[in-house]
Amino acid sequence: MTAPTDRDLILRARRGGDADKADAFGELVTRYQTNVFNVCYRILHERGEAEDLAQETFMRAYDRLNTFDLEREFGPWIRRVAANLCLNHLESQKTTAELDVERDADESQKPEAITEVRERSEQIREALASLPPQYRVVVELRHYQEMSYDEIAAELKIPLSDVKSHLFRARKILAEKLHASD
Amino acid sequence: MHLTDVQLNEYLDNETPERAQIESHLSSCDECAARLTALRALFAEIESLPELTLSRNIAARFALSPSLPAPLPRWLTLTATLQAALALIAIIIAAPFVMNLLPAIETPSFTDVFVQIQSQWIALLDILSQIQMPTLPEIPVIELSSLVITLTIAGVSMLWLVGNGLLLRNQIK
Repeated sequence: MTAPTDRDLILRARRGGDADKADAFGELVTRYQTNVFNVCYRILHERGEAEDLAQETFMRAYDRLNTFDLEREFGPWIRRVAANLCLNHLESQKTTAELDVERDADESQKPEAITEVRERSEQIREALASLPPQYRVVVELRHYQEMSYDEIAAELKIPLSDVKSHLFRARKILAEKLHASD
Repeated sequence: MHLTDVQLNEYLDNETPERAQIESHLSSCDECAARLTALRALFAEIESLPELTLSRNIAARFALSPSLPAPLPRWLTLTATLQAALALIAIIIAAPFVMNLLPAIETPSFTDVFVQIQSQWIALLDILSQIQMPTLPEIPVIELSSLVITLTIAGVSMLWLVGNGLLLRNQIK
């Protein structure tokens, strides 16, 4: 017995009654919620906010379901929506100082004996979180969503030259921070 | 002359038209090759982040039932379609024979059926009217003060609020 495809679920969510719509969309959320949460967490680096934004992403997708182009794949699309939503969220905040406090608070909650891998992951996450919002999103779209320069430019509605400069500067900062912590 | 950072980045991103020239330079320049290795290691490190798990189930907000019923297997759908098609063919073949048999069967007229139902209904009403209902004992009238009524309403309201609060606690989270 084969599981319904994303396309089947979207069609069911569009055509079905309230219960069927919620059921089919709930299944889509189950499939992608971890992915979407991780996109948000890599950009925001704060669990509570990342979970809220992941939920917000799915609520937006639910509202836009009737206009979703079925030729596109749902997974990459929902991850891009999440990245954009996080960027808007960060730009509306513009208070990096508050973010730093939250990051420190998060870190203090971690157990004493954490493994080396976890420590390194945390260093990478912190380095990512220290980047300006636009850089973070470009890194997310390039490294985790494997989009081309042109696709990133179209998605973020910025010139191709900005995509390159954001990405290359971001990598330079990341290299400095990660090597400094070695 | 060494490769620029932009060239190295574009090379690793597969976004350069000068791949051949860059590769040719890399094969003869240890310094640029070392820079490329370091950049490649950074890419690997960035992409090595493990996926974290959610602390709450977002899907629960959307799904009304815990699991989605799986669609019917293909063989069952095909069998049902075939059965329906065979049934339709059987009806078409049997129709002329049934039409021949129909005049032989005496069917009561609509008026007869209606009169029969009406007489049975009247008989039922007659039976019901003859049933003696037992007399109910008198209910003593309890006089309640307005204070007691107010307290009762307040108590019931509190119970309702607390009960619903407990039930919706997980949803609010």
